[in-house]
Amino acid sequence: MPDTKIPPVIVLKQLKKRFGLGDAEHYALDGIDLTIQKGEFITIMGPSGCGKTTLLNVLGLLDSHIEGEYELDGKSIAYLSAKRQARIRSQQIGFVFQSFNLVSRLNVIDNVALPLIYKGMTKLARQKKASAMLKSFHLGEREFYMPNQLSGGQTQRVAIARALVNDPAIILADEPTGNLDSRSSHIIMEELSDLHKLGNTIIMVTHNPDLTTYASRVITMLDGQIDTDTFRLSPQSSKNIKKPLNVAQRINTKVQSKKKLKKS
Amino acid sequence: MKILFANHIHIARQSIASSRMRSTLTMLGITIGVASITIILALSAGASKIVVDQVNSLGGNIAVIRPGAHEDETLQGIIQLPIGQQFAASSLSTIDVTSIEKIAHVKAAAPLMILGGSVSGDSKGSPRTPILATTPNLEQISGLKISDGQFLDPSLVGATAVIGPQLSIDLYGTTQSIGKTVTVKGKPFTIIGILKRTDTPINYNTVDFDNTVIIDIEDALELIQGASQIQQINVQSESVEHLGGVITNINKTLLKNHFSQADFTVLSGNEISEPASGMFTALAGVSVAIAAISLVVGGVGIMNIMLVTVAERTREIGIRKALGATNGDIISQFLIESLALSVGGGIAGYLLGYILAFAISASLTFDPVFNLEIAGVAIVVSLVIGTLFGLYPAIRAAQKDPISALRQYD
Repeated sequence: MPDTKIPPVIVLKQLKKRFGLGDAEHYALDGIDLTIQKGEFITIMGPSGCGKTTLLNVLGLLDSHIEGEYELDGKSIAYLSAKRQARIRSQQIGFVFQSFNLVSRLNVIDNVALPLIYKGMTKLARQKKASAMLKSFHLGEREFYMPNQLSGGQTQRVAIARALVNDPAIILADEPTGNLDSRSSHIIMEELSDLHKLGNTIIMVTHNPDLTTYASRVITMLDGQIDTDTFRLSPQSSKNIKKPLNVAQRINTKVQSKKKLKKS
Repeated sequence: MKILFANHIHIARQSIASSRMRSTLTMLGITIGVASITIILALSAGASKIVVDQVNSLGGNIAVIRPGAHEDETLQGIIQLPIGQQFAASSLSTIDVTSIEKIAHVKAAAPLMILGGSVSGDSKGSPRTPILATTPNLEQISGLKISDGQFLDPSLVGATAVIGPQLSIDLYGTTQSIGKTVTVKGKPFTIIGILKRTDTPINYNTVDFDNTVIIDIEDALELIQGASQIQQINVQSESVEHLGGVITNINKTLLKNHFSQADFTVLSGNEISEPASGMFTALAGVSVAIAAISLVVGGVGIMNIMLVTVAERTREIGIRKALGATNGDIISQFLIESLALSVGGGIAGYLLGYILAFAISASLTFDPVFNLEIAGVAIVVSLVIGTLFGLYPAIRAAQKDPISALRQYD
């Protein structure tokens, strides 16, 4: 169950997103009330066109033309300047896309280091951090590959590494396994699941009902509104249900290093 | 900020390297524009420098008196262009020369009267050959060098002339023409001296000494029935310190001679070279304006390519924005890329301009000049073009909506 002692990360009140004007007017999000606590792993399910991706874009501050209230870390985003929003995207939010969205003319390590540029880190520090991040995803020997030389699963792991390199509190994943086969999908899900155990808030949009087993909360949407909202087993028990493939040892070391980073 | 800047430069280098052909062609527009500006400025500065150098080499104790009131307009340089040829009646006369010579601390004064007329020897000279009538003092004041024979000397009997080496070749086919007779405006003169080659067709005396015939002013006055046509009086003071006082006294004396009409100008130092360099400045200005058109065309090329680049990288812009890039970050990324194109083209143009300027100067009598101004103009022009034509594509890039940008090619 969500921890009520600390304030929620995300609060949505009667959130609406309208597209088109006049006759063509259409609400992609039509009055969403949602409270997300720190450390939740949420999957959003629903048919195509129900507003899942739009919701994710709004949560990720890519789309701020909204009606209703959106509070991030207790602050309404309505009054944030575009620059401030960009800084929040840079420091608090990590995106994982279905189509990976690596920059094709940059190699793997430069792609992972990309978010760090906008944090103002020096080139050496960027490369070091990106390299460490890639190693933790077992992609250390792929650092200087170009994105088109990687398999789909590897590409998505690079994308996740990039999303994590800034230590974001919230990870937004839009069908991260949509373009992957089932084996790669499970590896990706294990990665996300590990991140969740490290205390990250993960919000994932998916079509695949199997993947909801990793989540602590499943939301289904229909026509721009929340249809069902189910809390599932705690992440600790979900670990027993799904056996990690080959990441068990890594988790422990990552937990420790992550905690150190958080403290500092 | 510094880190971002370094990173933007890195990105720009990568992107230019990745589409080398396209970038080179785009830069070419700027290169041609900057090269033409560099050629024009370097050569015109070289031409002006010759005159300035001549004046300086005379030791700084020279003043020049020209007819007409002094005006500070650059245009005057152009109006005075045909000074070497026939001119309307001058306000200066031989009386002025005599009274100037009497002023204290004046070492020497020499009038320069430039006549037009036929000059012929064994063969006929060009009808545009300048005939310079002066006094023996000119040799000393203007530092003329004699390669053979002697300069004008009033103690010699008969009409004598000194001619430039090129004119000697044109008239007699040799520089050994001493003793021969040159016919000036129908009157025979005996050649008593050949000038040393100077290769300075541009100088403050407005006469090409290589190609002129110098006769005594007394003989010249006979030829033109005493009508005074003095275009210039060169005055040399005893020392640099005396020049200021001498100029004041010349002004006083001439005003008295001319019944208080200030229809003359006394010039010293860099003012002497002004008409010549003013002319080049004006000519250079016109040529630079024409070259600027090619720069604008080059700038449009940059804008065009940058718009293509922005369109190609729409998705990358979306990714960068999602990862935390602000609009300012995107603007500076693309602006620096367009600046890299324009400054790269500008540097190439500056170098190319000097290579061409030296190639051209092989057939001219002066060399191009290196100075900071020209380098500064090249850099500033490239920066301005890069900013001006890169700003719009950069702003367009920054204004892209990240969601639709990310959806591109999906």
